[in-house]
Amino acid sequence: MKKYVFIRLINIVITLFVIATVTFFLMKQLPGSPFDEEKLAVLSDEQRAEFLARYGLDKPVTTQYVLYLGNLLKGDLGTSFYFKGQDVTSILVDRIGPSALIGTQAIILGLTIGIILGIIAAFRHNTVWDYSTMFLAVLGVSVPNFVFAALLQYYVGLKLGLLPVAFWESYSSSIMPSIALALSVIALIARYTRNEMLEVLGQDYMLTAKAKGVKRLKIIYVHAIRNALIPVVTVLGPITVSLLTGSLVIENIFGVPGIGSLFVDSIKVNDYTTIMGLTLFYSAFFILTMLVIDLLYGMIDPRIRISGVKE
Amino acid sequence: MVKKWPKLLGVFLLGLMVILSGCNFEESSSDAKDKKGGEKTEKKAENVLNLSLDNDIPDLNQVKTTDTISFSVLNNVMEGLYRINQDNEPEPAMAKSYDVSEDGLTYTFHLRDNVKWSDGNPVTANDFKYSWLRAMNPDTAGSYSFILADYIKGGAKFAAGETAADTVAIEAKDDQTLVVQLEKPTPFFVSLTAFVTYFPLNEKFVTEKGDQFALNNQNILYNGPYVITDYNQAEGVSLEKNPEYWDKANVGVDKINLKVIKEQSTALNLYEAGDLDRVILSSADVNSFKDSKEFGTETEFTSYYIQFNLGKDPISNTNIRKALQLAYDPEVLTSVVLNNGSEPATGLIAPKMTGADGKSFRELQGDVVKPDVNKAKELWEKGVKELGKTPEITLLTADDTVSKDTGTFLQSEYKKNLGIDIQLVTKPYSGRLQTMRDNDYQMVVSKWGADYNDPMTYLDLWMSPAIPFRGNYSNTKYDELVTEAKDEVDEKERMSKLLEAEKILLQDDAVLGTLYYQGTAFLQKPYLKGMVTHPSGAPLDLKYTTVQ
Repeated sequence: MKKYVFIRLINIVITLFVIATVTFFLMKQLPGSPFDEEKLAVLSDEQRAEFLARYGLDKPVTTQYVLYLGNLLKGDLGTSFYFKGQDVTSILVDRIGPSALIGTQAIILGLTIGIILGIIAAFRHNTVWDYSTMFLAVLGVSVPNFVFAALLQYYVGLKLGLLPVAFWESYSSSIMPSIALALSVIALIARYTRNEMLEVLGQDYMLTAKAKGVKRLKIIYVHAIRNALIPVVTVLGPITVSLLTGSLVIENIFGVPGIGSLFVDSIKVNDYTTIMGLTLFYSAFFILTMLVIDLLYGMIDPRIRISGVKE
Repeated sequence: MVKKWPKLLGVFLLGLMVILSGCNFEESSSDAKDKKGGEKTEKKAENVLNLSLDNDIPDLNQVKTTDTISFSVLNNVMEGLYRINQDNEPEPAMAKSYDVSEDGLTYTFHLRDNVKWSDGNPVTANDFKYSWLRAMNPDTAGSYSFILADYIKGGAKFAAGETAADTVAIEAKDDQTLVVQLEKPTPFFVSLTAFVTYFPLNEKFVTEKGDQFALNNQNILYNGPYVITDYNQAEGVSLEKNPEYWDKANVGVDKINLKVIKEQSTALNLYEAGDLDRVILSSADVNSFKDSKEFGTETEFTSYYIQFNLGKDPISNTNIRKALQLAYDPEVLTSVVLNNGSEPATGLIAPKMTGADGKSFRELQGDVVKPDVNKAKELWEKGVKELGKTPEITLLTADDTVSKDTGTFLQSEYKKNLGIDIQLVTKPYSGRLQTMRDNDYQMVVSKWGADYNDPMTYLDLWMSPAIPFRGNYSNTKYDELVTEAKDEVDEKERMSKLLEAEKILLQDDAVLGTLYYQGTAFLQKPYLKGMVTHPSGAPLDLKYTTVQ
């Protein structure tokens, strides 16, 4: 087990190095500079070069790359070009909080409701319960979350005045964005759970359990759900990453000061250090989540054994 | 195995709590909550103003910052020697008056007796000297250093790193007298002292804070009508009346919230819920609110135009250029396509920009470019004859909605009026600028936002040497006129030269095709009075605002 994790960690470092390299050189292909080019246009080529030199942007790209990598090894992501003087690390730390909060709430909400709906649909297979749940699930997948968010904001926020329309002022500000994000999670999880449950319910060991006289609830809890949840764990990885790292649209609609719009904005303004910082952060987070998911498999499903683990 | 689940859940919940505690929900949320109820009425219960900013606040370091959002915040918490008032005229602020020498080159500013920083220390002439030198010093300056260095004697060489600070002609004679010598007579210099980069800085404070200066609200010393009590780049700022401000009796609002709301539809919902007192409308919403009492429009000193590249065939042909300049009607563009409060342009200089004798530049000049389809056709045919073939033409635009719509509008107008098919090339904003610098375009939809209230901010741009970014334009007569205007002390003479320069640029040489002056449509609550927005420099001035 330890050896397995160790090897995976080394792989992660190599992967991150490759990502950093590719991103760095791709990013330098972006036209323009991190400065207001329309204002810089009044400068002559010489003045312009001088100006860029002050920020170390006159050096060859490979030199800049080596310098960046050196700082990275020291754990220094540099300072932002756009948010002048701010550490990229502190920007990330500031922004990730709100995004992670609404993301986590959306996952909890989405998982709970999704699994319950899925189980109901499976046990009431081909009844009106099943159909209406699946109708909701299809709706949840096909209605984009920003439409749902705008409707929520208009009716719940503006017309009914139950929750704040937008802003980030108290805990209640986080409720609507979380619900808006949870919608697609509910839909996805409900469908997965239902399909898997149906498959598991048809297995021989379910019949055995029933024959042994095990109580219905216990059958569901001990035998059915745990087996049905394995594929759910698989989709949980990417969902977690995408929700915890923020949603551009939902955050903009509800005025959440999160990390979602930072990526797009930083690319627009050629904020090199922020682009790099965010890319590395996302990648590291994604890869680590995948590792955790792989380890979780072993816990949930006794049939899966991690290679190198002694029986 | 089963027992592990509660543990996992525990870890998960613990994580959630950590995240929650890291979210820093504001303490001040009670303000926002309390005023829910009776909001739809004409009056406001509290003396609080709520406005939105349409993007993050990038940088409150006045020396380096370049964007209008940071400018808007700083303009309300800091103050220069002069402040631009409701009528867009400079009025005495930190300074009570100034004297100018007869040649227009030496300005002596007299500071008020009782001006203080928010920590109670006096604002002195030396604070201005320190700040201005800092803004020009290549080690500390940002991309706005030119707004000082271009005018102050010795500034340009200092900003280029060629000379030392003591060669710059700024002198703090005593604590209340600041003497500045200029390179050229600059009638708008007093207005410039109201610009963000000209605000004072306290040397002791800045040195003490080092590279942490202006990164949070405690690391800024204020001398303006308000102080920042809460600052988060992604969330916005809260301002409160500055008790040390010299003119605090005339500051109308106790507390201001400027919140970052990037989505226009959200801002509109907030406005309707009473959480915002003013909102910018998207063009889609303009028609539904046009007849509302709360509706209004305003234009800023930002002109959009087609930049023709004189260095590329067939645009180098004057008749072709003139045909392309006259073949569309900007009126249709603003009223049908944009519909956002923008006004059709008949010249380069925006309306209301200063002219002479109390008249604006546009009033003095009148329309320089008038759309004329028949004339355009004639000129086109003449041009085609000169070229010997029908040329192929490509128009470059940025890839935002407004630029693309403008491009499509031009394409269809040219098709309709000249019978030609032009190609559209769209690139991201920075890609458009790069392409222009690389001289890889024939014509491009471009713009310029004024830095200060004088036609020179525009006309200066097309002076020699010819550069691709400005269409490779070079005309000795034009250069002469603008250069002479820079040296001219007599205001009327100076303006007449600038008026002629605009005519040469647009009529004789057709270097630009005029499009529109950027405008905004907004809704504003009736109880909001004295809301001042400036067409150039820092857009927002809330010193004169009241909400009762």
